[in-house]
Amino acid sequence: MPTVTIDGIRVQVETGATILDAARKAGIWIPTLCYHPAVSPQATCRLCMVELDRGDWKQLVTSCNYPVRRDIEVSVSSARAVAARRGVMQLLLARAPENEQLKALAERMGVEGTPYPTVTTSQRDCILCGLCTAICAEVLGRSAIAFSGRGPERAVTTPFRQPAEDCIGCGACALVCPVGTIQIRMHEEEGEIEISPFKTRTKMLACQECGAPVGSVLVLKEALDRAPMHRESLAELTRLCPRCRRKRTAARLTEGRTLAAQAGYVAGTKKAE
Amino acid sequence: MTVLSSERLGSPADLEGKRRQWRERSRSCTKRVRVCIGPGCLAKGSLALYELFNQAVAEAGADVQVEAKGVGCHGLCERGPIVIVEPGEIFYQRVEEPDVAEIFRETVVGGRVIERLLYEDPDTGAKARTAQDIPFYKAQMRIALGHSGLIDPTSIEDYIALEGYAALAKALAAMTPEQVLAQVERSGLRGRGGGGFPTARKWRSCRNAPGQPKYVICNGDEGDPGAFMDRAIMEGNPHAILEGMAIGAYAIGSSQGYIYVRNEYPISVERLKEAIQQAEQLGLLGQDILGTGFSFDIRINRGGGAFVCGESTALMASLEGRPGEPRAKYVHTVESGLRGKPTNLNNVETWANVPAVINRGGEWFASIGTETSKGTKVFSLVGKIENTGLVEVPMGITLRRIIEEIGGGIPGGKAFKAVQTGGPSGGCIPAEHLDTAVDFDELTKLGSMMGSGGMIVMDEDTCMVNVARYFLNFLHAESCGKCTPCREGLAQMLAILDRITHGEGRQGDVERLEELADLLEGTALCALGKTAANPVLSTIRYFRDEYDAHILQQRCPAKECRGLFRYEIDPEACKACGLCLKDCPVDAISGGKKVPHVIDQGKCTRCGTCLDKCPFGAVLKV
Amino acid sequence: MTAQEKLIETIVSRYDGEVGMLISMMQDLQAESGYLPVDQLRRLAARLDMPVSRLYAVATFYASFRLAPKGQHEVTLCVGTVCYLKGAGRISQRIQEEFQVEAGGTTTDGLFTFQAVNCVGACAVAPVMIVDGKFHNGLTPESAADILRSLPAQQDAALGEDET
Repeated sequence: MPTVTIDGIRVQVETGATILDAARKAGIWIPTLCYHPAVSPQATCRLCMVELDRGDWKQLVTSCNYPVRRDIEVSVSSARAVAARRGVMQLLLARAPENEQLKALAERMGVEGTPYPTVTTSQRDCILCGLCTAICAEVLGRSAIAFSGRGPERAVTTPFRQPAEDCIGCGACALVCPVGTIQIRMHEEEGEIEISPFKTRTKMLACQECGAPVGSVLVLKEALDRAPMHRESLAELTRLCPRCRRKRTAARLTEGRTLAAQAGYVAGTKKAE
Repeated sequence: MTVLSSERLGSPADLEGKRRQWRERSRSCTKRVRVCIGPGCLAKGSLALYELFNQAVAEAGADVQVEAKGVGCHGLCERGPIVIVEPGEIFYQRVEEPDVAEIFRETVVGGRVIERLLYEDPDTGAKARTAQDIPFYKAQMRIALGHSGLIDPTSIEDYIALEGYAALAKALAAMTPEQVLAQVERSGLRGRGGGGFPTARKWRSCRNAPGQPKYVICNGDEGDPGAFMDRAIMEGNPHAILEGMAIGAYAIGSSQGYIYVRNEYPISVERLKEAIQQAEQLGLLGQDILGTGFSFDIRINRGGGAFVCGESTALMASLEGRPGEPRAKYVHTVESGLRGKPTNLNNVETWANVPAVINRGGEWFASIGTETSKGTKVFSLVGKIENTGLVEVPMGITLRRIIEEIGGGIPGGKAFKAVQTGGPSGGCIPAEHLDTAVDFDELTKLGSMMGSGGMIVMDEDTCMVNVARYFLNFLHAESCGKCTPCREGLAQMLAILDRITHGEGRQGDVERLEELADLLEGTALCALGKTAANPVLSTIRYFRDEYDAHILQQRCPAKECRGLFRYEIDPEACKACGLCLKDCPVDAISGGKKVPHVIDQGKCTRCGTCLDKCPFGAVLKV
Repeated sequence: MTAQEKLIETIVSRYDGEVGMLISMMQDLQAESGYLPVDQLRRLAARLDMPVSRLYAVATFYASFRLAPKGQHEVTLCVGTVCYLKGAGRISQRIQEEFQVEAGGTTTDGLFTFQAVNCVGACAVAPVMIVDGKFHNGLTPESAADILRSLPAQQDAALGEDET
């Protein structure tokens, strides 16, 4: 197992692990935006830059996807690495200057604002990190959204900018978006879940008891498809919203308890005979 | 276009037999007219000339033994269309359709030279009879371009008659893959696409990488504006590429190759397809080549229109049917490339050099060039230069020789200002470095790079700040947009240069550009982003005074940037004709008959209309 | 099978259904009608068992692909400084209103594609509009609209050039 010496701290990692893995093991924080454990490293934001010692020169590399295959020496806190990360963050701040998550991350990094004017436009602060497209492709296997265009026109869109037919309304994209661009909107009157800003809606399942939104019909279908053994009980469970489900479970448990009590069994007491 | 007999060559001996046969046949026809249908001449209508010559041959009758051939680029595109008559290699330039009949009658049949169609030396007035007599060609040496210009690129017989596929036969029948590698290593051949990476080292890494199958790729995505070397090779000497790839595949242990041709080169695609077909028919490609047991197939893929696909990982993404987005190269493509398999990618020109290395030996190749840069390089010499075209010269020749001796200097009596090498990833080299030897490392030291071979000459009328802006604009539009520094950084740099060239530059702009350049170099994902700032950096390095003038004085010394220089009427030259006055869109010119005109600088929008209109050259850029 | 489905089938078989040849398949598809129709792209995606977003990504990444048919004629209006000073802005507005087309777009009847560019270098005769490579000078909103109104549609093209 190769050893990574990172800012002087030595850690051993599996061959093929990344510098970021090593950093986390060593307890060293490296800022990231486009990294998420659920998907392969995107290495698009370029925020996680560190300096790799190559003997006669030092190379700036992205820690999220640099594979460790032999003993290496890495610097996270060198002046050059810090400057690189600062520069990248300054460019991002110029793109989305009002974004709260970005500003919070910048503050944590010690980056005070940006000297650059805003010269590019983004759709609701989208920084084109690609996490949403990656999770939809790799985990959901659907690619309802993907990158389109090139260069200054690059954007995350649905095919032909029409509502995506492949979307199941799971909201994983919203979950992984690091800057809050993607939002799940519930439209209860119409019984639809909207993934904003992709103008895509899916049918919402309502709780049989109280009518509250349970989830996307397609997501539930997907879950049932992926877990055939538990189809019956899952299907039953998903008829209810979490609150009603809890009520029903509680009712069952207390019902059982009453019977047990009647029979003389009470949990935690030694009345069982 | 010749008709090929579909006789398969079962052994190297068969190949030699055919070679002798075709060489004999070629020699038996002594009269020949070769019409250049390379990129430059083609654009000037040479295909029509070729057709007319063909007609003339057909009408000449059976007793006149003559043939007409369409051949590849000769290099002196400025003087195209070029027509060469054998015997004697009579070199005719600027040939037009009405000349065809005369050439055929006088020179082809009659053996007489038509003086007016010969090249005339602009200084001495001396007429050149053959290419060798023309200064443009004297310092050149053709290895990669090889027999382009001599052979019909659509005829494999022509190629074989002139040594074609001898290297492949030698490699397969008389050398081991290790021996082939040793020769390429001895040659010192470095990649000709821009990277200059030692070719043998790349081949060896791929050979040693675990995994099958292995792939061999030819990068024909020549995207640098102003560069057409690869196009000339693909269209003029396609078999050299196929042969080179087959030899490489043998050394590496691959049986599948791809040629990726940029979308904008449909003729290259056609020529290569035809060449592959012919090679397959003869058993020089495909299964069990020449009965040696080695099999190798080549497929052609066309690009979709994206400069970034010249980058190796982007090219491979494109070959997988995806958008051409580069990826990290922490694991090299020789280990994990196309479809995750060991892949060796080389440029068109690199592959075209390989047959010569095997035929004449690595030692021979290494005897040409400099210590670190062996062999020759093809350059497209374009821009403000007398002799625009393609040149192939030994490494180590000075820039001055290329520009003055071969290029013929700057037209219009203008002063040389800079030469841009390496395309959008390269830099501008000023006059004080003209005596630099052209070599990978020397050019890099100057802040530029060899690149793929584009050599754009600029004169005193070129604004170097605008040149930087032009390249940035190009890269910004061609960037894949995936990574933050390239996408956002180039937009920032472009915004600054837009301001500067519009007279809105600020103190600190140059420093800001240098900061961004440094950031891009360190953090961008691929070579496009990493080298994007080179044109800016090199112009700041050598032409800082122009940046300062733009920023501090809102003045463009080259008088190119609109609004940053004035127009004035020379009262001595002005004939008071009233043309400029009449056409000035904002009525800024005063004066009348016999009264010299004057431009009111306050009203003038600096549109330049007056300069265009004045028949006496009385309007000056100041 | 409809003619369109047949076309997809032919193209896919031409490359043995190989996913890596997607760009070539799309180029062949575009060669048929001069652009990539959305429904054909959806069919191709289904036939190759690929998400349609992948084809959209490829179609929008590479410059050679068009998702909308280009107009029969190419109209370029200069909106550089001098042309602008002489009313090119009003001309642009008039074209957009009368022909219901945006700068960079194509009219719904496919007659022409309209582009607004910055300075074509003919300031002496501003405002300038280039139609199919031919310069039209000194325009007014009315005269510009006139020229566009009399653009020949495809069927008329065979009658030959009639511009003076």
